[in-house]
Amino acid sequence: MKFARRFWMLMVPCVAMTLPAAVSYDHDVRPILAANCYVCHGPDDSTRKAKLRLDTEQTARPILRDLLKRISHIDPEKRMPPPKSGKKLSAAQITTLRQWIAQGAKWEKHWSLKPLRRPPLPKLTAGEKKWARNPIDHFIRAKQREHGLHPSPEADALALIRRLTFDLTGLPPTPTEIAAFKAAAQKDRNTAIEQLADRLLASPQYGERWGRHWLDVVKYADTCGYDKDKLRPNAWPYRDYIIRSFNENKPYARFVQEQIAGDALFPGTTDGILGLGFIAAGPWDFIGHVEVPESKIDGRVARHIDRDEMVSNTINTFTSTTIQCARCHDHKFDPFTQKHYYSLQSVFAAVDRADRTYGVNPETTTKKANLTKRISDLNKQLAAIEAKIKKEGGPQLASLDKQIAGLRLKAKLKSKRPEFGYHSTIVKSPGTTKWVQIDLGQAFDLQRVVLRACHDEFNNIGGGFGFPVRFKVEAALTAEFNNAIRLFDQTQGDFPNPDIAPVSFEAKAKARFLRVTATKLARRSNDYILALAELEVFDATDKNLALKARVSSPDSIEASVRWRRTNLTDGNFPIATDVKAIGALQKAQAERQRIAAKLQTPERQARRKKLQGQIAAATKELKSIPQGQMVYAAATDFKLQGNFKPTQGKPRNIKVLHRGNIQEPRGDVRPGTLPIFKDENFEFKLPTDHAESARRSALAKWITRKDNPLTWRSIANRIWLWHFGQGIVGSPNDFGRMGLLPSHPELLDWLAVEFRDSGGSFKHLHKLIVTSATYRQTSTVNNQFAEIDSNNRYLWRMNRRRLEAEELRDSILATSGALNKKMGGPGFYLFALEKTAHSPHYEYHKFDPADPKSHRRSVYRFIVRSQPDPFMTTFDCADSSQSTPQRGETLTALQALSLLNNKFTLEMSNRFAARLQKEAKTLRAQIRRAHQLTTGRPPTVTELAALEKYAQQHGLPNLCRVLFNLSEFTYMD
Amino acid sequence: MNTSPFHKKTAEAPSNRRDFLWRSGGGLGGLALASMLGREPLLGSGMLSGTLHHPPKAKRVIQLFMGGAASHLDTFDFKPALIKHHGEKSDFGEHVEAFQNGLGPWMRSPFEFRRYGQSGKFLSDIVAPLGGVVDEMAFVHNLVGKTGVHSQATYLQATGFQRPGFPGMGAWVSYALGSENENLPTFVVLPDHRGYASNGPKNWASAFLPTSTQGTTIFPQRENPIPDLHPKVGFVTKASHRAGIDLINRLNAGYAKSRVGDDRLEARIKTYELAARLQLSATEALDIAKEPAHVLKLYGLDRTQKKYPDKINVPEETEYFGRKCLMARRLIERGVRFVQIWSGNDNSFPRRNWDSHEDIERDHAPLALGMARGAAGLIQDLKQRGLLEDTIIHWTTEFGRMPSTQGSKGRDHNPYVFTNWLCGGGIRGGTIAGESDEWGYKPLDRANPTQVYDLHATMLHLLGIDHKRLTVPHNGIDRRLTDVHGHVIEKLIA
Repeated sequence: MKFARRFWMLMVPCVAMTLPAAVSYDHDVRPILAANCYVCHGPDDSTRKAKLRLDTEQTARPILRDLLKRISHIDPEKRMPPPKSGKKLSAAQITTLRQWIAQGAKWEKHWSLKPLRRPPLPKLTAGEKKWARNPIDHFIRAKQREHGLHPSPEADALALIRRLTFDLTGLPPTPTEIAAFKAAAQKDRNTAIEQLADRLLASPQYGERWGRHWLDVVKYADTCGYDKDKLRPNAWPYRDYIIRSFNENKPYARFVQEQIAGDALFPGTTDGILGLGFIAAGPWDFIGHVEVPESKIDGRVARHIDRDEMVSNTINTFTSTTIQCARCHDHKFDPFTQKHYYSLQSVFAAVDRADRTYGVNPETTTKKANLTKRISDLNKQLAAIEAKIKKEGGPQLASLDKQIAGLRLKAKLKSKRPEFGYHSTIVKSPGTTKWVQIDLGQAFDLQRVVLRACHDEFNNIGGGFGFPVRFKVEAALTAEFNNAIRLFDQTQGDFPNPDIAPVSFEAKAKARFLRVTATKLARRSNDYILALAELEVFDATDKNLALKARVSSPDSIEASVRWRRTNLTDGNFPIATDVKAIGALQKAQAERQRIAAKLQTPERQARRKKLQGQIAAATKELKSIPQGQMVYAAATDFKLQGNFKPTQGKPRNIKVLHRGNIQEPRGDVRPGTLPIFKDENFEFKLPTDHAESARRSALAKWITRKDNPLTWRSIANRIWLWHFGQGIVGSPNDFGRMGLLPSHPELLDWLAVEFRDSGGSFKHLHKLIVTSATYRQTSTVNNQFAEIDSNNRYLWRMNRRRLEAEELRDSILATSGALNKKMGGPGFYLFALEKTAHSPHYEYHKFDPADPKSHRRSVYRFIVRSQPDPFMTTFDCADSSQSTPQRGETLTALQALSLLNNKFTLEMSNRFAARLQKEAKTLRAQIRRAHQLTTGRPPTVTELAALEKYAQQHGLPNLCRVLFNLSEFTYMD
Repeated sequence: MNTSPFHKKTAEAPSNRRDFLWRSGGGLGGLALASMLGREPLLGSGMLSGTLHHPPKAKRVIQLFMGGAASHLDTFDFKPALIKHHGEKSDFGEHVEAFQNGLGPWMRSPFEFRRYGQSGKFLSDIVAPLGGVVDEMAFVHNLVGKTGVHSQATYLQATGFQRPGFPGMGAWVSYALGSENENLPTFVVLPDHRGYASNGPKNWASAFLPTSTQGTTIFPQRENPIPDLHPKVGFVTKASHRAGIDLINRLNAGYAKSRVGDDRLEARIKTYELAARLQLSATEALDIAKEPAHVLKLYGLDRTQKKYPDKINVPEETEYFGRKCLMARRLIERGVRFVQIWSGNDNSFPRRNWDSHEDIERDHAPLALGMARGAAGLIQDLKQRGLLEDTIIHWTTEFGRMPSTQGSKGRDHNPYVFTNWLCGGGIRGGTIAGESDEWGYKPLDRANPTQVYDLHATMLHLLGIDHKRLTVPHNGIDRRLTDVHGHVIEKLIA
């Protein structure tokens, strides 16, 4: 398979014009080889040409001299890489390789896989030491010096409090907080900043801001995505768990373990279950799972893709490795094979995404387990009695059992048509009376009536779906049923479920109308209905008089084509393979009961009665135990939904799939992980009879190993990125050979070790970062430094940043005084929800932003995956269809239009105006207050004059609308 | 640098190309391919050829997408064998996995087929309006999909991948070519008037491309056809709006001036000017009131009604599809690069898309007639304006439908073969590139089917882009529209 060409490599003059004296394999050489050679001479066995492999020292060292010859060969036919590959080495790249070989061709392990050690602090001069406040600054200063850069001065107090408050809580500081901080900073700046950081880290809003970062990476949403984009009403407990975990400063290792295997590693804990929402957070194909069975190719493809999503979510998030590249072929650039990839699929082979209970305390769990066991034991005892009876019943009973089994097969559904039948509306109580009647058009002499039951797989009911438990059938000459004749009465006792056998009875009467009245309805799931496939009425010549007869009823769900009134007389009903078998089956079952009854001794009867009583009592007790709440998470046991069935903990058999094709399975794999520890097999050591959760536990423990070089570097880089807006590694989800190299490798390692050894404390690292001299710099651009490092990769200033979508919306709410800081719970809607039965419609344009339910922080909004919120999307909020390790920051005219014209900003402009009128008397005072609230400072004289003039002409709401559009409101220095 | 309002601007020039591409992959970039190749941006149409992989034949695309899966057998792919064997037990000669097991007897189309044009191409009566332009059209009857699941199939045709997380074709084209008119979006989507098809806006999302490349949805019948185009509130007047923007710009200019070196702050002021221009140009582009009567008639818009029945019906389909086609013409005329028109809402009851499991005649007839009238009008109109020669029209759907019956009058999903057609923009009219077998069950030549990658590669080729070279690095892979597949179909090219 051909891999995408990196066309830009051709276009770009080499970056390495000023080569450092010593050529580094990791920095200079491997990127050239990876981009140009690995496709044919890399880790992938299947595409390797000429048996040459350049990615390992062992295989490459012997051919280095030849390599040099080939890459600079005069004959284009012999030159490498070949022209048809579309790749070409630049002169500078060839020089780099030549120098590296001349210098002895030193190999290095890829940076991210090197063992993690705390590096020594770089030496600083006395002057530099004065600037530095903690070890972070040592590393930053050293790199600055290396590139001829100097730090920027410290930012002013307003910039600092805005920076810290947004960074740590996602909200603007209030005027009171700003004033207090300014006063404190004047007295003792360092202490003021320390105290500010402590206050913000302790506030519950911290978890709301930092939890959102995490949710970006894991693709959290409140709907499934794909076709239909159905609601996930129980996704939010995971979101709340994330927010709470940040607020509780949960140790990172524990945080990781709960999200992969909390059920097994921390049994009986709420967080052990809630954390598993991680595995289920991404998109899920409803149709591919519920409507298509696993026996079909499409069903297997859907489940294969689903597992791929679980594997990549886990490995990308925690180890910044793009293992999904090895789904169809061995990884082209990193030393991972398909076998490694599928061994990871095997870790998740038993879990699906579904609702599961949580919040049950440990005692209750034990009690529940005990009762379940007791019921199972009692059932076994009961079965023992039956077994004895069976034995004594001898061949007669045995042959009867065989007959029953055979008849059961014959009595199966043969065919049914999409027109199922008539279906009443759904009610909550079985006692509701429902009826449906037909009009034969004129009076006839009737002979016989036949009721045909429906067949619907819904809730696994199958035959007899909706057939009334108690009912009567009446005939009459008038539609009002005056002087009705009762043809059949089953209102005093329950009628056995007929399955799809016809229910036929004699009906000697002259009548034009027939009515079926149900007095006790059939159960559907937790509700009740009346459904009938067909009502047939025969005369003496056996002609069905009811065919195409007009049907009426007080209600009907009319969900064409399956369910509608006309289906009751359309001549369509489910047909059994052998209709007679149904009757014979019912007869044989009665006969068996009769024989079995004879074998009952009084002792046995008493024993059975006792056992049944005990089972009933235990079941009742079990039911009375609080069930807890539901969370959408990884699960092996859940309510069956169409073809979506739980594995009950039995892992699916995972094989390597050739080209990722479900129809081309190759060898079996065992659960395992990435082969990054040389002396250890990548496959987990698990006993043959291990529980499925042992696989996930093994993976969770492997990821959180103290010596896992990827895990700790990955999270340290993410934390840094979320503070500075840029990572030390610019590709936060890819630390592989095609990812970017760290700008400050030693700093990254120092942070990783510091974080790990502090017990994985986020708040510890935050505090270090936000109190560092690096973080406290101004964001002002220095032209001289900008010429050296326009990207500010070496942090010679702080980055000015635009507020993220959530911060922007929350700031507008906070500023206008509408913000409700209530935490947690189900997500609030920012749309009108319509047509939920099949494919929900999320109508954003019909939403009224005055709805107070929506005036909460944006992290609590209900996130629709396929139809994301247009306002938030315009401001680059995370797309829950993919992992978003870093938000984009775009500038478009649509953003201007949204801030000017969106119903939300307009509504909030009104609110803001009302607030100002309450808080200040004169227009001038109102404008001062407004400016203070939006920018953190009073307006200058010229600003005030301009704003006042505008407000006088157009009113306060228009002024508020203007202020929401200020760059100063949207940007943070 | 591309200055389209829908194109973003980076604040800081990245230190090297690789870094830059990584960042645009993360959504920070916003430069069109032309500028990535190190040349000046293209803003006028005249500069195209100098900046692309090769000289283009087409400059823009209009894609017609039939949600729910339109039957090839009842529209464009005539199968006499089904007439001959109608009602006989179907025999596929192999085990078939059908989505809802709809493997009843062979079923002929309920519609008659007739020959049209010089090419003598058979069309069914429900797409007969296209007969007049059939010689402009090229058909691909041997397209194969990968799945009979609506969602995955829609993703596959729309984005080239059968799962979420990938950019729509229009986003790729926007990314590569940028806009011809900075006052309008580059990529416009006109959804079905009833609502979205499977996957909704994810079919035209930007995914890992800059968000500015995503499709902008326009619902012409809504109060605000483009979200937030105009303030719909009492207190904002024309005067307060205009004066407000002036004041915002003045204050923001002051802010930017005290923060020299941050390009974003200047650029942000520009977005407000562009927004104001967009309000005017979008309103003008969407206003079809001034179109002459003969043009309205061409699109079937001469007899519109105030209200329509609940069930799918011909007048309603004609009006809504025709209106979108006319709007598409007006948009591309004004420089929009890619317009995607949808026919069909979700897969629900009563049917509101092409997913005719129950009754082909009931649903396909009105949907197809409405579509065919609008599409035929569009082709004729583009032709008479000289726009057809550099505008590709591409008709597609999720998959086809089975030659056997389901429930006596319907057809089940057929991902094993279906039809697409193209015209204009360098496409060779009157050709057929690839046939289906005698039943319309699988490709005639099973070893050489056409896949969506081939169509994407061909369209990109006509736009002057080598599909293998339009790549963006994302999470360890250089992503492209055609994944690792795709061949340009030479037979389709004039």
